[in-house]
Amino acid sequence: MTTKISAGEIVGRGNREGATLFQDWYASLANTAEEGGRGAYVFVMGSFNEILKAFDLPIVFPEINSLQTAVRKVAHEYLRVAEDYGYSPDICGYVKADVAVQFSRGKHPMGRIPKPGIAILTNACNTYIKWAEFWERIHQIPVVTIDIPGTRDGIELEKQDAHDFANDQQYVIAQIKELIATCEEVTGTKFDIDKLREKMEAANTLSTSWKRIIELNKNQPSVFNALTDGTVFLGVANGFRGTKEGADYFTRLVEEMEFKAAHGIGAVDDEQYRLAFVGVPCYPIFRRFNEMFLQRGGTYINSTYLWFASGGANRGFEYELTDPINSLAEGVLLSVRSAMDSMFHQDRMLEEIADDYGIDGIVYHAIKSCRTVSTGLADARQSLSERRDIPSLFIESDMMDRRVVSEAQIKNRVDAFFEGLASRRQRADNA
Amino acid sequence: MTTVLDDWRLESLDESLYACRELVEDTTFPTVSKWREQGGKVAGHFQVYFPEEIAHAAGMLPVKIRGGPLVPVLADSHFGSYLCSILKTSLEFAMNGNLKLDLFVSHPICDAARNLAAIWGRNVNYPSQILYLPQNPNSSHSATYLSGEYDRLKRVVDRVSGTEVTDENLRNSITVFNENRKLLRELYDIKRETPWLIDAVDAYCLVSIGGLIPREEHNDLLRKMLPQIRQRRDKQQDRIRVVFEGGFCEQPPLDLLRMLARTCYLVDDDLLVGLRWLTEDIPLEGDPLFNLAESYIDRSTYSPVQHDLRKPKETMLLKRVEEAKADAVIVAAAKMCEPGLEEQVTYTHALDERGIPYFVSEFEENMTSFDHLELLVETFLENLLFA
Amino acid sequence: MVYAGGVDVGSTQTKAVIVDDQGTIISRALIDTGADVHGAAENTFAQSLKQGGLDKSDIAYVIGTGYGRYRVTFGDDQITEISCHGRGAVHMFPKTRTVIDMGGQDTKAIRVSPSGDIDDFSMNDKCAAGTGRFLGAASSALEIPLDDLGTVALAFTRPVRISTTCTVFAESEVLSWLGKGKKVEDILWGVHQSIAVRSFALLRRVGVEQEVTFTGGVARNAAMIKALEEKAGVQFNISEESHFMGALGAALFALDRVAGGQKTQPAAETDR
Repeated sequence: MTTKISAGEIVGRGNREGATLFQDWYASLANTAEEGGRGAYVFVMGSFNEILKAFDLPIVFPEINSLQTAVRKVAHEYLRVAEDYGYSPDICGYVKADVAVQFSRGKHPMGRIPKPGIAILTNACNTYIKWAEFWERIHQIPVVTIDIPGTRDGIELEKQDAHDFANDQQYVIAQIKELIATCEEVTGTKFDIDKLREKMEAANTLSTSWKRIIELNKNQPSVFNALTDGTVFLGVANGFRGTKEGADYFTRLVEEMEFKAAHGIGAVDDEQYRLAFVGVPCYPIFRRFNEMFLQRGGTYINSTYLWFASGGANRGFEYELTDPINSLAEGVLLSVRSAMDSMFHQDRMLEEIADDYGIDGIVYHAIKSCRTVSTGLADARQSLSERRDIPSLFIESDMMDRRVVSEAQIKNRVDAFFEGLASRRQRADNA
Repeated sequence: MTTVLDDWRLESLDESLYACRELVEDTTFPTVSKWREQGGKVAGHFQVYFPEEIAHAAGMLPVKIRGGPLVPVLADSHFGSYLCSILKTSLEFAMNGNLKLDLFVSHPICDAARNLAAIWGRNVNYPSQILYLPQNPNSSHSATYLSGEYDRLKRVVDRVSGTEVTDENLRNSITVFNENRKLLRELYDIKRETPWLIDAVDAYCLVSIGGLIPREEHNDLLRKMLPQIRQRRDKQQDRIRVVFEGGFCEQPPLDLLRMLARTCYLVDDDLLVGLRWLTEDIPLEGDPLFNLAESYIDRSTYSPVQHDLRKPKETMLLKRVEEAKADAVIVAAAKMCEPGLEEQVTYTHALDERGIPYFVSEFEENMTSFDHLELLVETFLENLLFA
Repeated sequence: MVYAGGVDVGSTQTKAVIVDDQGTIISRALIDTGADVHGAAENTFAQSLKQGGLDKSDIAYVIGTGYGRYRVTFGDDQITEISCHGRGAVHMFPKTRTVIDMGGQDTKAIRVSPSGDIDDFSMNDKCAAGTGRFLGAASSALEIPLDDLGTVALAFTRPVRISTTCTVFAESEVLSWLGKGKKVEDILWGVHQSIAVRSFALLRRVGVEQEVTFTGGVARNAAMIKALEEKAGVQFNISEESHFMGALGAALFALDRVAGGQKTQPAAETDR
């Protein structure tokens, strides 16, 4: 029997609950720090939370810690510490903000971050590797690098010879087993495969729900803002992957979005232009950035950020719990590979979804800090525009460094973009 | 066998070295064109390391793509800002027709370069692929994995070249490249032990040319020239011995090396280290593909873009400095080179701890004026001399 | 008679244009922006009114553009200078498909559709290399008035290549060439070439489609025209009004509003 739920209760629930979960997570990390405990440092692309949570390790996402300093307008203090230490202004801002956190014994606007006891990373981003080398040096902790071989040839995404896929999968399986052995050493506890199953089951719910939620934005009007709301949901998707709270949150989030879709409750009242965002958000002016578009009737209905920054969870891979290690390897391989594809072959992926999502315009946001995402954007944009006539805007700024974010310049370009969209629509209407 | 070099065998050592310099600076890549004219196929590979033996075994010419000193007029608009130059100039050669390839392969050495394959592929008509070399060489499974990855690459090369790479022809290629690496190690021995016998730029060109011509010809050239170099009568001069660290990917312009060579002996470096990556011979017995893979992991040097717990970069640099009996280090990085810039932090702190003098600098492959840099180097060296 | 006005508040200069209902320029004015942006907008507009013998009440609609467009408080609306430059260029040269606008502070490349809508744009406002600012820097380094730079540069015989990418360092490179005995005209031509290379790179980002119209203050510099045309391999349209293209575009948009959203005919198309 279904209980009647009111719009007032359900609309916005995901944002509220997400914010609470996020606070709880950081509060518990602060506790761990105060007690002198250590955390497992992980990254959004291949976090292996399923395994780490099976060892009850507190999870720290330095990328999320860093972006929080920008959202809370204190990034420049953190960047300065790293730059004084010798890091160039031209390298990734996430790394530098974390360097400052490490040098200040975990000081952070959201409380306190515990030191690492272990770090796990994949090769999905090369900066992860250099970042972890920094931790190795200052904390002398085990750093586990897990190679996830990605797409070899952009011509045919996701079409790999079975023999070669098996070679890749065997490698990931071997590395997972080595990770488990390292975790046993670090924690002093034996690995429990049933616990892993439990975490994987929860992750399944999260991934399939995440996929569903993103798909619900095909709806007109769209049901959530892929830029602002999306980032809240992402925080939970990463921090709570493999937990019951995460699974429950996402189940409820699906319920909320389905409700909105069924009742025609849009993310905005008057949806005029449906936009796709490509890249990493502009955290230093996070609210303001979205407003610039909102003011002109633009709303974000999808974003490649939701794809790669969830480690490819948007793919909705479901683990086979009867064969956990092999299935985990397959799932991580496919998901992280998909995350990488969303950074290097986003033109193909956007092309595939453009019609289904009714995209009116694409906003490419290249940032100084992240070359993984940004290097190929200009070319991907050109390439896609040769195949599809979808208006697009190219903006360059940063996700951490206020010094290279010029609000006035961005606004100028955004205004010009909407002037173009409006006259194009008018022409189409007149025709 | 296809040869691409004009007959240098009759020329004097100086004339041959001059010819090498000319070829290395020639952005029209005449040796590659000559190879193609004779019906040969070309496999372009980006920095840093590539298992050239595989392409060689299929009868292809492996060409090291390393940018160049030109303005990327065509390629520039395909990239955003805050990027190193080498990506753009490399693509420029593909787009302006100076470098016609049948295959392009790169490895994710850094976040910027890992995008190159996709961009390249969108702008050319031949396969543009990524080779995933292990960034977890410490896994017990990494050699097995890489062997399988090399097998995959082999199949691509088979298809593109129309020739099958067999164990036999692969062993032959390994023999050629083992010889090549041995000769290059000898060249570096000369640089280290008797740097006054070879100009830094000449030494550089002797390495660099290998990435542009068939390795057999390169071996012939080195076999002839190295003894000649050893027999030179140049006298040792009072110059500081320096290690140049930071040239593993984008290359400094030759004029910058010339400028440094005026005041220093460049006794060791990581310039074009990809062509000198393996430090020992690859064994010939057993599965050659597996041996090639294992060598990448266990018989290799270091760079900021390869992660290996056994080879912390600063430890390796200190070892290099010690073995080269260097007085100082030029800790360089290409502009916007993220791994290079990050490694500078590690290097400088380690050098500080040991009290080894160093000089931090950034360069760009197409810079033409060095007044600024020259002044800094001279002042630094004056301080060293008077210290 | 219906009149409309456009005020283009740039960071170095403010321009105002008044057009009649045919889109013909009746009057124009230009002053240095200075620190009082709002005042500059008002004064320029007042001057253009005076030049046209008109009163404020005669103007049916005013649009502000340029970086200071929100300071045109007496205006009825604001439109970006990107759209305005595109509009102005197409009005002057109906076959325009690409616009390159070089002002004192930034450079814009704009691609327009046959109907004058903005299809794509790219701006260089982060870095002075490739903008008129580099000319300003060269002007002060060489102590040659800005307006004379082009003429002097065209007298080059053995061009010098300026390689530094940053305007600040390029200044010292200019002086060092002087120190090495290079001729002023050769150095200046090198400066123009350097700007042309970077501006052309910007143009390539939007794609060069003929016809190309060159607007902005720098469009009056003969050496810049030559250098850029050589790089692009095509001849550019250049108007006497190149400085006022943005203000003109704004005035034309203003005229659209008066006419109830219907566009005025571009110049020279009225007899079709």
